[in-house]
Amino acid sequence: MGQTFSEKVLGAKARKTVKAGEIVTVSPDYILTHDNSAAIIQEFRKLEIERVKCAEKIVIVLDHVVPASSEKYAQNHKDIREFVREQGIPHFFDVHHGICHQVFAENGFALPGKLILGADSHTTSYGALGAFSAGIGRSEAASVWATDGIWLKVPETIRIEMNGKFPAMVSAKDVILKIIGDEGADRANYKAVEFAGPAAKNLSLASRLVMANMAAEMGAKNGYFAPDEKTISWLEGRTQGEFDVVVSDSDADYGAILNYDLATIEPQVACPHTVDNVRPVSEVQGTPFHQAIIGTCTNGRIEDLRVAAKIMKGKKIHPGVRVLVIPASRREYIQALQEGELETLVSAGCLVLNPGCGPCLGAHQGILAPGEVAISTANRNFRGRMGSRDSAIYLASPATVAASALEGKIADPRKYE
Amino acid sequence: MTETTISGRIWVLLDEKGHLIENIDTDQIFHNAHLHITDVNKMGEYTLGNLEGWKDFPQKSRPGDILVVGRNFGAGSSRQQAVDCFRSLQIGAILSPSFGAIYFRNAVNSGFPVLRGLQIPQLVDEGKLETGDEICLHFLSGEAQIINKNLSFPIIPMSDVQSEIYRAGGLYNYGKTWTQD
Repeated sequence: MGQTFSEKVLGAKARKTVKAGEIVTVSPDYILTHDNSAAIIQEFRKLEIERVKCAEKIVIVLDHVVPASSEKYAQNHKDIREFVREQGIPHFFDVHHGICHQVFAENGFALPGKLILGADSHTTSYGALGAFSAGIGRSEAASVWATDGIWLKVPETIRIEMNGKFPAMVSAKDVILKIIGDEGADRANYKAVEFAGPAAKNLSLASRLVMANMAAEMGAKNGYFAPDEKTISWLEGRTQGEFDVVVSDSDADYGAILNYDLATIEPQVACPHTVDNVRPVSEVQGTPFHQAIIGTCTNGRIEDLRVAAKIMKGKKIHPGVRVLVIPASRREYIQALQEGELETLVSAGCLVLNPGCGPCLGAHQGILAPGEVAISTANRNFRGRMGSRDSAIYLASPATVAASALEGKIADPRKYE
Repeated sequence: MTETTISGRIWVLLDEKGHLIENIDTDQIFHNAHLHITDVNKMGEYTLGNLEGWKDFPQKSRPGDILVVGRNFGAGSSRQQAVDCFRSLQIGAILSPSFGAIYFRNAVNSGFPVLRGLQIPQLVDEGKLETGDEICLHFLSGEAQIINKNLSFPIIPMSDVQSEIYRAGGLYNYGKTWTQD
């Protein structure tokens, strides 16, 4: 019996052959933290160790509340900057770079075959580039800073075979919402999800990032796409790091294999208040809302802004709604400035915010009042996540959110083809 | 606190229709509005503060109480406050058919007992497991006894790594073995 990707990467790190279910103690290639570094620093201090063990493995990106919205957040950022200086941490990205998952990937840290840990649940994103990447907690992150080690359970793997081509105005966001809706928010708890099949190869790296990011919403420990020529060419110019491509054996032992035909998928919407409460747009169109959000670590890249701008070009958003646009990073922001998408979106009435997490987790920049409803390209719609616990969030693709912004109610984007 | 057998009064988290609440996410356990709090002792008062029908849990609970919850407890973000708030209230353990993966890790690494019992939904539906029952949990053998009803049911025993971290009093003490390499 062959091995899965996850068994190979964790086995190589543990220097032995491992099977799903085993516990290994391994040393990661990188450890990512964000604004929560402030709390992690406090945990680290409790260990009474002076220096982090491997400063060059630590990547810190300030993104959750940038720029600081209150004195408390400002103090947290200040503490982090001082720690970075004190410990000589070379990979620090201050408030102007963008959302950690985009910044981490576009700066070439997410590489095939690497073991990446992050104190953020959407660390699963880097599986899009063929890395093993998993979210961990705060005290674990402090422990990794101190010891350069972590225990991990080798996950069983669910393989998702994708065939066919997307209909117009249907994208990676729709298929991952469909999968989560079909399978449930805990289907992949403690498991790896491998996205495969001919259609996986057709997906852009940005689209792969959408799906690996949202694997977290199935409960997955990690998501994965086998690296191909698209991966390698995307990495050119973005990294000087060396890497080894690791893929699952053809006779690997999968816990389950699921099949999806992309040609049959219509635009999908996750309804309040769980990500697996998914319905086709035809069943929810006409639902009124107050705020639309296009952006976040899930869907704030140039291909997302392009489709939104295409739909809004020469038009105005509905006067009854407000629309926030948040590019995922400064690089994506600059590209959208140069290509003109941002001019199109601002002319249509959208409000462009600086790259960052923005209102996605309810900390600032567009909080919802009681009774308000949002439609967002983000990855999570838990009750109260974006503000009042009496508000509601729908999740959809950039195309669906853009079309909905024009109509002031949830709309099918296919008529804007 | 490293006993591998504990007893306590249980709270079964039911909704207004009397069903076990599933998919209680980290925003319902510890809302993001309180994420700036870094002192564990101050987290308890916000526990379940966003869960309909259970906002008064911090006032009702006593140290040593045990929670019984629906599947996929702790889904969502990696915030450790969602574990720490229960430690702050000195809750003894949480029992569920399944947990969010990162939540489970956070609890294991904190040395906080989280245990899986697949029969829990059925026992709750049949009225055999109710708020106020006294339960005794054997972490290593995997037995749970409902003392006042003279009933018992299986739970999944702690794995080696979970019990070692638990007995070491948390990941830091357990992890010291790595730093000596």
